[in-house]
Amino acid sequence: MNHLAAKRKSLTEWLVTTPSFVWLIIFFVLPTITIFAIAFRPTNIDGGIGGGWTLDTWRSLANPNYPVIVWRTLRLSVATTFICLAFAVPCGYFMARVRDSWRQTLLLLVVVPFWTNFLVRVFAWRELLHPEGWLKQGLVFLGLASPDAQLLYNEYAVLLVLIYTHLPFAILPVYAAAEKFDFRLMEAARDLGAGALRAFWNVFIPGISRGLLTAFLVVFIPALGSYVIPDIMGGPSGEMIGNKIAQRTFSDRNWPHASGLSALLTLAVLGPMVVVLMLQGRKQPSPGGEKKT
Amino acid sequence: MFTTVLVLLFFYIPILLLVLNSFNAARFGGQWEGFTLDWYVRLFNDGPIWTALRNTLIIAVSSTLVSMVLGTLAAFALHRYNTRLQRIHYTLIYTPLVVPDILMGMSLLLFFVAAGLQLGLTTIFLAHVSFCISYVAMVVLARLQDFDFSVIEASQDLGAGWWDTTWRVLLPMLAPGIAAGGLLAFTLSIDDFVITFFVSGPGSTTLPIRIYSMMKHSRNMPIINALSTLLLVVTFIAVWSSQRLTREKRT
Amino acid sequence: MSGENSIEIVDVTKRFGSFTAVDNVSLSIKRGEFFSLLGPSGCGKTTLLRMIAGFEQPEVGQLILNGDDITRLPPNERKVNTIFQSYALFPHMTLWDNIAYGLKIARRSSREIKSEVEKMLSLIQMEDHAYKKPDQISGGQKQRVAIARALINKPQVLLLDEPLAALDLKLRQRMLIELDNIHDEVGITFIYVTHDQGEAMSLSDRIAVMNKGRIEQIGKPGEIYEAPRSSFVAAFIGDTNFFEGTVAEAIDDDYNRTRVDGLGDVICFNDKNIQLNAPIHLSIRPEKFRISRDQPEAQPKHNVLSGVVEDIVYLGSHTRYWVRTGDYRISINQQHGRFLLDERPIKWKDHVFVWWHADDGFMLEQYSESDEQLMTLPDAPATTVS
Repeated sequence: MNHLAAKRKSLTEWLVTTPSFVWLIIFFVLPTITIFAIAFRPTNIDGGIGGGWTLDTWRSLANPNYPVIVWRTLRLSVATTFICLAFAVPCGYFMARVRDSWRQTLLLLVVVPFWTNFLVRVFAWRELLHPEGWLKQGLVFLGLASPDAQLLYNEYAVLLVLIYTHLPFAILPVYAAAEKFDFRLMEAARDLGAGALRAFWNVFIPGISRGLLTAFLVVFIPALGSYVIPDIMGGPSGEMIGNKIAQRTFSDRNWPHASGLSALLTLAVLGPMVVVLMLQGRKQPSPGGEKKT
Repeated sequence: MFTTVLVLLFFYIPILLLVLNSFNAARFGGQWEGFTLDWYVRLFNDGPIWTALRNTLIIAVSSTLVSMVLGTLAAFALHRYNTRLQRIHYTLIYTPLVVPDILMGMSLLLFFVAAGLQLGLTTIFLAHVSFCISYVAMVVLARLQDFDFSVIEASQDLGAGWWDTTWRVLLPMLAPGIAAGGLLAFTLSIDDFVITFFVSGPGSTTLPIRIYSMMKHSRNMPIINALSTLLLVVTFIAVWSSQRLTREKRT
Repeated sequence: MSGENSIEIVDVTKRFGSFTAVDNVSLSIKRGEFFSLLGPSGCGKTTLLRMIAGFEQPEVGQLILNGDDITRLPPNERKVNTIFQSYALFPHMTLWDNIAYGLKIARRSSREIKSEVEKMLSLIQMEDHAYKKPDQISGGQKQRVAIARALINKPQVLLLDEPLAALDLKLRQRMLIELDNIHDEVGITFIYVTHDQGEAMSLSDRIAVMNKGRIEQIGKPGEIYEAPRSSFVAAFIGDTNFFEGTVAEAIDDDYNRTRVDGLGDVICFNDKNIQLNAPIHLSIRPEKFRISRDQPEAQPKHNVLSGVVEDIVYLGSHTRYWVRTGDYRISINQQHGRFLLDERPIKWKDHVFVWWHADDGFMLEQYSESDEQLMTLPDAPATTVS
């Protein structure tokens, strides 16, 4: 009997696990493996994938063009992450401390931009920074910019919009952690003689470290793979790895090359992810839910 | 407090100006040249946009439904069983949440081509389900965390078999979570540009792809403003009514 | 053979991995009995209950309900119902629908369901709340709805899994009486799982005290308190003082002299025929001692010790003293029979005499090392000073 019950239990587990498991193996794991495989294939003249195996793609990644772009990608992603966190922490702190009715409203206000079409948000900034746009006109009017200053198509425009689109993702996990934080601990720290800033730094920040880790993960990794924002805001001087991948895929139709770049980016993404998952795993042994929205 | 206000201004000023510009007669937004609905008229006469909208909705509805089923099953499995299989399963569900869109798009493109699949609405559907599963699973999983499983035992105890238990207790109780997951999946599907861009083929243009190509090539930028404004209105109504719904449930 | 037995548990064992939750337990519960499974957390009482309900399967053994073997039946086919610790009311249904659930599943006619549910609602006096949801009522009310939801199915046995644990003290006392009344009214078998000896004592016809998956003792509440059969039972039910010693000499058939290390020789009642020189524990409950500043007259079968009062806690109806004598700190309860303020009370550091009748001490086999932790948990400072 016990055997039968155990069998029935594992059959149920198997039944509810298989659909998503198999789907993700086919449409997530296999494609990722494909990227690595194709990176070792030669290029066909007509843009297809040739037969046999080669290291050509990997050799061509040494092209002096790439280090510049890789470096820019890293620089922009790191800057985006830290600026987002720097804004998210005081926002999360404030939202966790206000009255409940206010809190719901604030939460909604933070979430709504996230529900707004991504391209629309990027486009709104393009309009603002456009040579004929409000911001440019305003700055010229105030004498802060010369009429022929170029606000669009540079790294700073890319950074600005990266921050704009990723900030809600940073605020939400920080707020979620701050909401669970026991603020009496801060009072205890003050009571024991810590200044306000010191209590904030020594008690609050460690208390929300899980939220900070999640925020780091959901900002830094997508930022590494940015494509639309540098494409629309950056122009050639703001290109990131994502642009190169798209360019190799669509304009040059050099798929092995695009695969090589993607493989490189995958490895770059896996690094911080494994580190963060391990850090989180240490704090929470069982695979609990990580609510992202 | 100051930072929060600043951040909210930062969030909303670009969007508000965009809405304003959709009524601006000027072709480039810097000056106010009078109120007009001209851009909206042109929008309604733009056939390709409506085809794209239709495609977007077909994809969004179908991939939401499928990912709701798969994601809910996944969340249930992850919550109920604590086996090595589920640890691998959890990694499989979690990873797509953080992998950049471009990698997912690129890998799926290569995979579909290698598998000999014709790029089009089908491939977009497959891709969308693949990233929506994880979001649905995470939302439902979060609801399951405060789910008291003794009600399942109570139902069995009162004579119900697994069928009655599933339909009368489990699903009704999980419904708000599944709906929230579905709503998220629907929004993400409608919103997605990058992955769709990679796996779309001729004749499968979705709304974000159409917007993108207009942004890149069109001379009629304000049409995008008008379209964006309409999308914003739809979003606000959706968010507002879903908030109303959940609030009524609570009181 | 099972004529008057409601439930028979025959040689049941249940393991979770390498942990044995229920270890070869056999037990018969009579029809209409209020039976309690009492023990510390992790003793296997809940697992045993869950096996009766059908949520767990025994590895070995049989479960018999009114003569039928139900070991293999799934929970939904057993004529037993459970009151869960968290009540497990369906949050998305009204109280009415919660109570009607079992009948709806059984596909009864809606007319019958209506009349049965109304009967139940009046039994628990909740007619006015029928269309509320579970989160709109209090803990005590939830408790009553859970009982109605189970009883409407006319189960042969009602299983209660720590049903009062989530309630506050006042409510717990009231529900205790209500449970007792309901049991009298419906007359079916109740199996009640608890770690609270007070609940078990006041409700039960019989109690099974469990420890580490085994049953230590089954008996009426009085038997278990007054005549514990093991050191574990003695320590778990109420407070007690333990003395370690060896049997030194038999006085007659019933009494012997026991040598307690660090204290001296005492006379003990030997109901278990423990052999000479066997190591034993002597258990004496705090209220069995008498305490006085004046030396008592010598009486047969009495043991008298002298010591110094180390602590006094006044508790209203009684006072508790801790007296140092030899290597031991004895805890003593003195009931206040007379108006206390008139007496000349015993004070801290007073020299006192402590005595008890040999019949009031119990010789028990020595407990194992791992039991020790459990036994020192209640405020029993009667541990040896090494």
